Amino acid sequence: MTTAVHQAGQTMEPREFKSDLKPIWCPGCGDFGVLQALYRALSAVGRPPHEIAFVSGIGCSSRIPGYTTAYGFNSVHGRALPIAQGIKIANPDLLVLVAGGDGDGFSIGGGHLPHAVRRNLDLTYVVMDNQIYGLTKGQLSPTSHRGLQTVTSGYGSLEEPVNPLLYTLAYGAGFVAQGTPADMPGLTSVIEEAIRFPGFAFVNVQSPCVTFGEAEWQLKAHKAQMKSLAGLGHDPADRLKAMALAAQYGEELYTGVFYRNPNPAPTYDALVVERQAELRDQALPRERILDLFRKDGGR
Amino acid sequence: MPIQHVDLARLSLQDALDLATLVEEEAHERYLELADQMDQHRTPEAARFFRFMAENEAKHGAELAERRRALFSDAPREVRRTMIFDVEAPDYDEARAFMTARAALDIALRCEEKAHAFFVEALPHIREPQVQALFAELRDEEVHHQELVRREIARLPADADTSGEAFVDDPAAQ
Repeated sequence: MTTAVHQAGQTMEPREFKSDLKPIWCPGCGDFGVLQALYRALSAVGRPPHEIAFVSGIGCSSRIPGYTTAYGFNSVHGRALPIAQGIKIANPDLLVLVAGGDGDGFSIGGGHLPHAVRRNLDLTYVVMDNQIYGLTKGQLSPTSHRGLQTVTSGYGSLEEPVNPLLYTLAYGAGFVAQGTPADMPGLTSVIEEAIRFPGFAFVNVQSPCVTFGEAEWQLKAHKAQMKSLAGLGHDPADRLKAMALAAQYGEELYTGVFYRNPNPAPTYDALVVERQAELRDQALPRERILDLFRKDGGR
Repeated sequence: MPIQHVDLARLSLQDALDLATLVEEEAHERYLELADQMDQHRTPEAARFFRFMAENEAKHGAELAERRRALFSDAPREVRRTMIFDVEAPDYDEARAFMTARAALDIALRCEEKAHAFFVEALPHIREPQVQALFAELRDEEVHHQELVRREIARLPADADTSGEAFVDDPAAQ
């Protein structure tokens, strides 16, 4: 037997995660590459589809759960993270992934993000950041750069964009990375790492909108301009350096892991299981649960 | 290099045949995906061509798989699809709604060139003589495929001046 191939320990093929539903994204959309990277990352992780739940909000990229054979919930605009947290707490054994776009995650759902990060549930949040509202035909999004002309900013945006990398680092996320479908091995690798990280993991994917995005910021431009953090010698355990690099969002396209907490904190879902174990002796038997709602507390 | 976790210097013939088969399999699946995308976006000529390419890739893949079976029977495969990244498969960002048949053929040509470049780049790293022979054969096949695609391109009439973009609706405020 040869030793030329370094085994990753996987047992599933990427195609086992692919559903029969055909993506209806515009040809050339960056999301096709993200979906392919997800299939490969899940294959490498090796958990079968019935042990995985995929939650999304609304938007082009939020169609992703339907394109996988995992459990899927294409939910309400901006509410993917609260729903995913509920699923994870109810069934901590599930591998829970969250997907969506920059509008869904940083505008409509922007208030949920810091709380999901600080609770530190073991979730992987993949945002397909295209700097535009594509599904609704090209309005300004929270990550659109200042000066961008769209149908809702005809003379150019007056706003500074959200910086997803810096925000999530500042909120305290234990794992923050960025990828682009222009670098499929790199994107697959950061998604796999994010899934394996024990805690809230955030992956910002620069996934250009081929129809309403800027013509000069498509995947060919990514290929020409992306810079690998590993290639720059960045130490992902250095949070302050990660923040300095993340501050260049919109100016530089860094790919790879910005920050990986070398001593991950216990996850909320693990703490809930612990608390349940501690309080098991004090719990009322199931048939007496309704007594809690009586004035005398069932005494 | 569009392959990961494979040490070319230590590649056995069995692994090399598996790798080559998976390269064809990936290209086959990608062409089918692009054909589906073209169907979704009412671009039937490009869809037809992508299906034709998918059939060709499947045929090459089956031939390689048969060679592998004849030599190594059902020995477990160690090379996996997750190790191969678009060696011959078209990049997703190549496709466009309303693309012409000529544009679809141009994609196929770039893929054949890409695959050729892979084998050219890989060859100096390979030590096993049988694997060297296989990769040289595959490299030369890619040149032949390029010639076939170029011949088809030459037979097509020139594209009209209007690009596919002309058929896309202007963005509309909600």
